[in-house]
Amino acid sequence: MKNRIADLRKKINITQQELAERVNVTRQTIISLEFGRYNPSLELAYKITKTLKQKYLKDVFDLKSIKI
Amino acid sequence: MNEKIVNKKNLIWKYNFAFILIFLGIIFSYLKLGTEFLGFSSVGLWLIYVGFIMLIVVTLRLIYNKKRIVDERMQFVSTKAARITFIGIIMFSFIIMIIDGIKSIDIAYSYFMSYLICGIVLLYLVSYKILLRFN
Repeated sequence: MKNRIADLRKKINITQQELAERVNVTRQTIISLEFGRYNPSLELAYKITKTLKQKYLKDVFDLKSIKI
Repeated sequence: MNEKIVNKKNLIWKYNFAFILIFLGIIFSYLKLGTEFLGFSSVGLWLIYVGFIMLIVVTLRLIYNKKRIVDERMQFVSTKAARITFIGIIMFSFIIMIIDGIKSIDIAYSYFMSYLICGIVLLYLVSYKILLRFN
């Protein structure tokens, strides 16, 4: 799933490690998420959205890229 | 349940298991059960050896207690690795059956099982590490 994690992270000036610590995952998981290799759970997606100071999941994750 | 309580319970279980192994080993040695086993002179001595190794490992992990993060991606990858290992065991079993059909495999059951366990652990670790890199 495409996302804007890297852009938003740079916008609020935090590193991958800092984001990882705030949402309680490893830095490798943040890297995987930024590259779109891994789709997070709803809980992790929500935590990331709030940490990146966004209101809705769709502000961070491209939900349209999910095929139904 | 609180994470600390769960860790403490796990630790108690591990110590209990190690002491049970040592205790069984002492009883088997006292009763002089069995002969040569996996390079040891009796199964009792082997049990004592395994029990002490377990005690050392558990104690070292307790002393160098570092907090490990296990996130959802790691759990996802471990499930995949477990599935690969399971398929690997089935395929390996078929290969062994075919080889045994061609030429009878003459190996002690204890040796065979120890090789099998080592193989399973190795396959799981390798597949886990590879999957962790590409997921």
